[in-house]
Amino acid sequence: MYEIPLITADNFITYALNGVSRGMIIFLVASGLSLIFGLIGLINFAHGAMLALGGYGTYIVIQATGNFWLGLVVSVALVTVLGFVLERKLLYWIYDEPLLGFLGTFGIGLVIEEALAVYFGSRSYTVPSPLPESVQILGVSYPSYRLFVIAVGAVVALGVGLLLAKTRLGLEIHATANMQPTAEILGVDTARIYTITFVLGTALAALAGALTAPITSMYPTIGLDYITMAFLVIIVGGMGSFKGSFVVSMIVGQIIAFGWLLLAPTYVRIVIFAAAMVFILYKPRGFFGKPEVHE
Amino acid sequence: MSDTMADVREYARGTARRPLLALGVLLVLAVPFLAPSQADLATEALIFGLFAISVDVALGYAGLLTLAPAAFFGVGSYTVAKFVVDYDLSFWLGFPAAVILAVLLAVAVGYIPIKRRIGHVYFVLFTLAFGAIMHDFTFVTTWLTGGSDGLGFFSPPSVFGIDLGGQMEYYYFSLALVALVGFGIYRLIKSDYGDVLHATRQNQLRMRYLGYDTDRELMIAWVLSAAVSAFAGAIYVGSVGIASPSDISFALTGDVIIWIIVGGTGTLLGPFAAAVGLLFTQELLQNLWQGGYRLLLGLLFVVFVFTLPDGLMGFVRDDE
Repeated sequence: MYEIPLITADNFITYALNGVSRGMIIFLVASGLSLIFGLIGLINFAHGAMLALGGYGTYIVIQATGNFWLGLVVSVALVTVLGFVLERKLLYWIYDEPLLGFLGTFGIGLVIEEALAVYFGSRSYTVPSPLPESVQILGVSYPSYRLFVIAVGAVVALGVGLLLAKTRLGLEIHATANMQPTAEILGVDTARIYTITFVLGTALAALAGALTAPITSMYPTIGLDYITMAFLVIIVGGMGSFKGSFVVSMIVGQIIAFGWLLLAPTYVRIVIFAAAMVFILYKPRGFFGKPEVHE
Repeated sequence: MSDTMADVREYARGTARRPLLALGVLLVLAVPFLAPSQADLATEALIFGLFAISVDVALGYAGLLTLAPAAFFGVGSYTVAKFVVDYDLSFWLGFPAAVILAVLLAVAVGYIPIKRRIGHVYFVLFTLAFGAIMHDFTFVTTWLTGGSDGLGFFSPPSVFGIDLGGQMEYYYFSLALVALVGFGIYRLIKSDYGDVLHATRQNQLRMRYLGYDTDRELMIAWVLSAAVSAFAGAIYVGSVGIASPSDISFALTGDVIIWIIVGGTGTLLGPFAAAVGLLFTQELLQNLWQGGYRLLLGLLFVVFVFTLPDGLMGFVRDDE
């Protein structure tokens, strides 16, 4: 049977930090999905493929230049451009048909993942950590790269949160999500808002992919695992709620980090999925969902 | 251009319908003689064709957007494999057990979401979670499912002196079962129930006002779809001899959705033909371009979704 390991204060802090960094990655994926879903009503199944592209893009640049930071920037930029092109050239036409949107993004995701599989093979790749040293924090020695991930996640959460809450653009995004025709009449260029939101969401997925590359190994379908988790996070957090995705991502990160003390990791996943199913049935708006959100 | 298309369609529906049907039946019957080495593949194609039909009953006819068809297919294949490999019971006993188990599971999973009418988006995500749980479950419950090794190997038994372990024998065995169940579904869809299902998908509220218990109608379609999926899974495991986690994977769910979309939702022949056709295409391509098949399949699917919305309209109509 599964052994329950002893836990010391040091371990506790390490696990908690692991949970935060894991939660930040999930948050980056979930917040992008949630933005796209909350505004456009698009179940974006290509999101996971964007994450994979971000990771593989980083890998390619590292192979070429040896510089992780360059890889991070270049791959996120390229995937952002791809997101822009996809939105303008393809997805824009099917916003009125949510089911086509779901199928279309599913197909696009499949094409990207299979292209990766053809090019790289299905074996998994790893990227060396750009910050291999550890630092002392809260009395434990902890890898600095993971702290970097936590910092990036926090900055993004704060930045996008402020963007949505305090700026004109954020206001226009809320207005468009709430009542697109009215926003259009009142002078909001809603087509532009859709594009910006989709591209922003895609960029967040690519960032998550690039950041996760040195932590976990990459394989073409890596995105599927993340988006399944992320979809459930945004349900529990409340569809379209940015705050909700953040809070629930953090909780899920901690559950994953500590859950394995009690249960095998796969059981932890099963428990999270089962909890999400219960939420879908009995509290479909989640903790922070607003009635304005597209269904 | 469109006139010629219309003529062709008219021709295929009218005068040429019976001869075409007869030709199709002949072709299916003759496959093991025309291409003996491909009998296994043909068996697989038939079974996946039945699987596609069963999923289309839920997806295309009832409008229940499920992302968990592979879960029920896997229940079928694992039940039969479990019975034969671990319990040393009869292969035949596995079939009813698989169907009963799938029905129970379908009721347990589908009852509340259908009753509460949670809407398309939530149904997609609900079944996505269910499918993920079932897949994870196969990996962790090693004592029950054999984990990543699966449950195998075994051969189907002999019946009336015919050894079903042979490729050709199993092909005809599968053909008989697929034809029987497929015909049953065809009759059901052509019956009043099929019309009720059509109407429910298009305007549920109106059907309720007309006095139909739409929840019950959808529930029947959902359970039927699960039962036939499991039945297909049960036939499948007899052909390959092992139940493995790929039977229950999201990849299989993706495949079956592609077959249905390419073939046309809300039709029976379409998904069946697409499953058979694409499976043979895969085999052909496998030798030319290893690994490229799924990429091309994905491209084909995207092209269908974006350029042939007519074929998809039945799927989409109900959302408005």
